[in-house]
Amino acid sequence: MPSTGKVRVIRRVHLLISAALLALASISPAFAGWGMPEPITDQAKRIQDLWVFTLIIALAVFFAVEGALVYAIIRYRKRGDGLPKQTHGSTALEVVWTAIPVLIVITLFSYSFIVLRDVEKEAPADALSIEVNGFQFSWEFTYDLARLGRGEAPAKDGTFSIIGTAAQEPTFVIPVGEPVEFRLKSNDVIHSFYVPNFHYKLDVVPGRDNRFVITANQTGEFTGQCAELCGINHALMRFHLRVVERAEFDRWVAEQVASKATVRQP
Amino acid sequence: MAAHAVATQERQGLSNGMLGFILFLASEVMFFGGLFAAYFIARADAREWPPVYLLTPEQVAAGVKLEVEFWLPFIATLILVTSSVTIQFAVFSIQRGNRSGLIRWTFVSIILGLVFLVMQVYDYSQLHFGVGDTIYGTTFYTMTGFHGLHVLGGVIFMGIVLARSLAGQFTAANHEAVEACSFYWHFVDVVWIALFTTLYIIP
Amino acid sequence: MTSIAIPRPAYAERPRVLDWLMTVDHKKLGILYLYTTLFFFAVGGILALLVRAQLAVADNTFVNNDAYNQIFTMHASAMLFLFIIPVWAGFGNYIVPLQIGAADMAFPRINALSFWLIPPAGLLMFSGFLFGGAADVGWTAYSPLARSSGVGLDLWIISVIILGVSSTIGAANFMVTMFRMRAPGMTMFRMPIFCWTMLVTAVLQLLATPVLASALAMLYIDRNFGGSFFDPNGGGNAILWQNIFWFYSHPAVYIMILPGMGIISEVLPVFARKPLFGYKAFVFATMGIGGLGFSVWAHHMFTTGAVLKPWFGFMTFMIGVPTGVKMFNWLGTLWRGSITFEAPMLFALGFLSMFLIGGINGTFSAAVPVDFAIHDTYFVVAHIHYVLFGGAVFAVFAGLYYWFPKIWGRRLDERLARIHFALQFIGFNLAFFPMHLLGLDGMPRRIATYSESSGWETLNLISTIGAFLIGVAMIPFIINVVMAFLRPKDQPNDPWEANTLEWWTTSPPPVHNFDSLPEVHSERPLWDLRHGKAAH
Ligand code: HEM
Ligand SMILES: [Cu+2]
Ligand SMILES: [Cu+2]
Repeated sequence: MPSTGKVRVIRRVHLLISAALLALASISPAFAGWGMPEPITDQAKRIQDLWVFTLIIALAVFFAVEGALVYAIIRYRKRGDGLPKQTHGSTALEVVWTAIPVLIVITLFSYSFIVLRDVEKEAPADALSIEVNGFQFSWEFTYDLARLGRGEAPAKDGTFSIIGTAAQEPTFVIPVGEPVEFRLKSNDVIHSFYVPNFHYKLDVVPGRDNRFVITANQTGEFTGQCAELCGINHALMRFHLRVVERAEFDRWVAEQVASKATVRQP
Repeated sequence: MAAHAVATQERQGLSNGMLGFILFLASEVMFFGGLFAAYFIARADAREWPPVYLLTPEQVAAGVKLEVEFWLPFIATLILVTSSVTIQFAVFSIQRGNRSGLIRWTFVSIILGLVFLVMQVYDYSQLHFGVGDTIYGTTFYTMTGFHGLHVLGGVIFMGIVLARSLAGQFTAANHEAVEACSFYWHFVDVVWIALFTTLYIIP
Repeated sequence: MTSIAIPRPAYAERPRVLDWLMTVDHKKLGILYLYTTLFFFAVGGILALLVRAQLAVADNTFVNNDAYNQIFTMHASAMLFLFIIPVWAGFGNYIVPLQIGAADMAFPRINALSFWLIPPAGLLMFSGFLFGGAADVGWTAYSPLARSSGVGLDLWIISVIILGVSSTIGAANFMVTMFRMRAPGMTMFRMPIFCWTMLVTAVLQLLATPVLASALAMLYIDRNFGGSFFDPNGGGNAILWQNIFWFYSHPAVYIMILPGMGIISEVLPVFARKPLFGYKAFVFATMGIGGLGFSVWAHHMFTTGAVLKPWFGFMTFMIGVPTGVKMFNWLGTLWRGSITFEAPMLFALGFLSMFLIGGINGTFSAAVPVDFAIHDTYFVVAHIHYVLFGGAVFAVFAGLYYWFPKIWGRRLDERLARIHFALQFIGFNLAFFPMHLLGLDGMPRRIATYSESSGWETLNLISTIGAFLIGVAMIPFIINVVMAFLRPKDQPNDPWEANTLEWWTTSPPPVHNFDSLPEVHSERPLWDLRHGKAAH
């Protein structure tokens, strides 16, 4: 029968895809995070948990529906000239399969609402606060000596900045284990401040005061880049981030201030 | 049974053409809706309105003033409202088969529409700000400008209706274009009243 | 068997070319629409392959950053504004009047105007390449960036406004046609589902497209007359553009997919030999999607920090509900059916399996914190394509294979169709599945290049191979069409044993569509005739 041949093709295609998916997932170094890179902030951890929860539900729905589809394709292929029973629908079923998605949706929404509230908490007044200035096509990170958080500032006031260019990607430094606030500024077009390991991005919008807070929970070097198309060299708006212990952070600040090059007195 | 395909078209109430025309007007409403949304968002953003604080020293030195006249546009409004009444008289006339009434009232409406346009252009020439002078100037000229274009379109529409009336193409039974034209003109009128209220009356 | 005779109007003879240029016949216009939009599909596809060629390896210099931005912008603009939106108008033009038993659209001349606006608008949009560069700020043209981009963007703006006029008047035409031109017995709730989806699409177009036109007008004024709509320094608002743009463009997503769902809902019942499960539920779900479509626009803007996140997140989740209802109804249609796998059905089943993924991976963006991670990354590019390619384009092919015998009187070869399907299905998943992983790993969309240290090279290479496989898949399709045109027109009225009125008349239909019409007692008039009402 020709139609069984077609079924076999379709089945094979499905097998092939499942195999490919598994292969892809397993070669991905990020498999541990269910596809997400390592979360390096408390907030990122919450977001990742939400992602995993959502993903599990999504996979369940996917396998249930795709499974039913494949089953129907194989089981109900034409096998003779008899007409199938002409069912036109079922109100009971419609109600059920409206209600089930509604319940799923409410669950997902509630959980995501809680996480949203938590990751968007405001910074304590004494937190380290960094002004991030996005411009075509790099970043400027400005530290205010009066808002350096817990450590000892080398001077009472003044600021210093790390300024990058598209060719010279900037690196900035934050301390681990304490809240850090980012205040995002732009004077040209919209950019987006994105560190994949934060699982977070926030747009840098001219005329808006966008800010967010993270608490890093591990040290290391990470990269980020602009996530909103902002012109010809958008792809080159990368930056680097070093998360270090507080003591090292204070040493770094002192070096920056001492080198003067980037320090601007108010 | 020959007439079935046709019979289904001419069922009740509005003709197909009128229905299509009303749908077109609905899309026009959405177009102006977008412009109004932009205007109200700008106002919500502004510390004060008119947003004088946004003017640069150069603009101030060049004599830019963010303010509008009241009386001239008010009279223009009365004229436009009157023209809505006169175009309706044109429709009533042809509904009773009165072709000369149709011609007369359409002609009057065209004149009133033109007077409105002239007054608007004159009003523009009296203002001390341009499109580029803050969001105030931008929204003002964009909204009144698009409305003015619609008035112009309406005047042309009425011109066509006038020409066709002069050619004797409308009768009591057949004057759909006249009705469509009046719908359009009322729409233009209503938009203007909304514009006049937002741009000239709300402080 | 009763039927209703319809008089034949007289048609003047004209030279053939002129006949096509001046035609107001919905069938000819439908064919012109299909040719034009498939041409732009090819153009958009070639641009996509250029994008994939550039991204195949890290630090590539195949095209420079400037060219890249133009290429991906024009890829999306061609695919959306010149292919997928008008292709439905093409199918709709040909099929809707036939399915409701009408002789033509309500306004044939306006119909011709709708079509003839499209080719010049397309040329205008692409002419940017000749004038120092095409539009290069993405099809979303975000301001303030778009305030300062080159003249190609002005051409793009004018072009999109013209296309908007085309689809707005087209929408009014479809609505009046379906409200007023139905044959006797063809009540609203007996209209084929494809008509219903075209109707809801038309409503969305009529109400949403003018809003886009207003945004484009504002952008044009900002760019050319010194306006300040989107300039915070002049009191404007940088986010305003996004609000107005997405107020149009989220409904536009449904404009792009609903008619495809309609086609699938025509094909499944025919090849499963059962009625569509839950016809009315399906209609209401379509309306529900249309209505909800207007309340979720800001889910594209969660990371701007300027929108009410919980509200838009919730509404976005809610859209999953009517979409789920449709999915289950399609499954219900297959269930206990008697399924055969002709080409239209293969593509319809491909649609079901791929659109399912596009529906599921979209819900992640409704979970706002997750959206913070995946927004503007390749995850979203994967989502777009599972919906628009796995969904809409598979539906386009389902429709082409299904109605080809009706429109051109010839049948496409099943073997070539199967090869086409297999290649496209595999190529599609190879091209787009890896993008999920790239996006999660932090690869932003719209980047002209990425560095080797990112570790994104392998997956990108797989994706590029998949993309070229899609290109290869078009070869058997083209051969198939060419060979069909070399064969004589031999198709009977109803080669598939289908259900709806377009299969009642000859293939292709006469100029006036029907010599007679059967009585319509259900949404499957031809089924009723074949099997009697008892089988109902
Ligand atoms: C051969 C098939 C296709 C391939 C290989 C392809 C590839 C791509 C790629 C790689 C991007 C991302 C570009 C970037 O962000 O830098 C993209 C974007 C996009 N594609 Fe496709 N695509 C294909 C077909 C389609 C189709 C059929 C549609 C719609 C009907 C479509 C609509 C879009 C849209 C809307 C975008 C977003 C562009 C933007 O970010 O502005 N694509 N495509
Ligand atoms: Cu950027
Ligand atoms: Cu959307």
